[in-house]
Amino acid sequence: MNSARDTAKNAPTALRLFGLFAGISAVTIGGGYAIVPVIGNALEKRGWMDEKEFYDLFARAQAFPGPLALTTAVLCSIKLAGFRGAVAAFLGVIVPPFFALILVGSLLGRFGSLPAVRRFLDGAGATVPGLVAAMVWRNAKKRKWTAFRAVSTIALAVALALLPGMSMPILLGGILLLYVSEAAWKS
Amino acid sequence: MEILNVVWTFFKIGIISFGGGWSIVGIIKSEVVPRWLDEAGFRSLVAIAQSTPGPIALNAATLIGWDQGGFLGAIAATLSVVAFPMMAIAAAGWLGPKIPLKKTALDEALRTGSMAMMLMTLWALRPDSADPVLLGLGVLAFVFAAFTKLNSLWAILGAGAINAAFGPFLRGLFGIAP
Repeated sequence: MNSARDTAKNAPTALRLFGLFAGISAVTIGGGYAIVPVIGNALEKRGWMDEKEFYDLFARAQAFPGPLALTTAVLCSIKLAGFRGAVAAFLGVIVPPFFALILVGSLLGRFGSLPAVRRFLDGAGATVPGLVAAMVWRNAKKRKWTAFRAVSTIALAVALALLPGMSMPILLGGILLLYVSEAAWKS
Repeated sequence: MEILNVVWTFFKIGIISFGGGWSIVGIIKSEVVPRWLDEAGFRSLVAIAQSTPGPIALNAATLIGWDQGGFLGAIAATLSVVAFPMMAIAAAGWLGPKIPLKKTALDEALRTGSMAMMLMTLWALRPDSADPVLLGLGVLAFVFAAFTKLNSLWAILGAGAINAAFGPFLRGLFGIAP
């Protein structure tokens, strides 16, 4: 891998990283878990990073807040091209969606009150509870459940639902408590 | 200067946006409804954010910023939601190796946190209308997303198209005024 990385012809420069991530970000729809494997394949194909190295960085990205596609792209690019690479990846990930949303926002401003458009938006919005339920279902099936995890998941969810204005202290405090308990459990 | 409130709100959302995509949507909703959007408007916003490129929290910030403050508002809101995550990565680069963290315990704590956020999102976005067509589309979307590997984009666009084209006709079948 290092030999490919060192040849100037194919080196991961800031400009190339920007182009790569802008391209991926512009065409990948469906959130973090859809885009992350695409990033991994692209980096591997260019010989910039092997699969193991990529998934280590992806695992680290999950410990940070923020969209997974963004944090993964930035962590990979720091490794490949330092601070300039990180800035390039950051812009690459956020610029294409930004303009797509501005376009959609202005179209809605103009056509949003037409009855057919309203019905389209109502129909699209009606899928949201179903999609969230499917996400919960998939994640609940994957989770390694213990009694402690089940009880704390439900307690935290109820606290968040009852006190929406306090979500930040509840979550940060909750995750800290969970971390301490999980760590104590192991040792 | 409503846009300053938008920026501050999304900055705070960025601090707790763990767990990818859907987890944070319930918290976004509790912050922006009814201040900047009504219930139905928020559901459409989520559907749009999920069927356009880009992370959902970022897209929600862009649209609400655009609504409240035009082009500059959209830029400010978009940057505010990623400001804290980027600072956290920079800080971890400096401090990371010096803080001894138990990796698996942290992963499990974050998984529990994001599962709870997802449940809260499900509660916050439970169906809010008794309209049989909209409820039916929600059930179809669940089956589509839970039991197939297809991109949920197609469920969102399909449901929108069905309701736009056949909504009044279907409601007529149920004896409801369109």
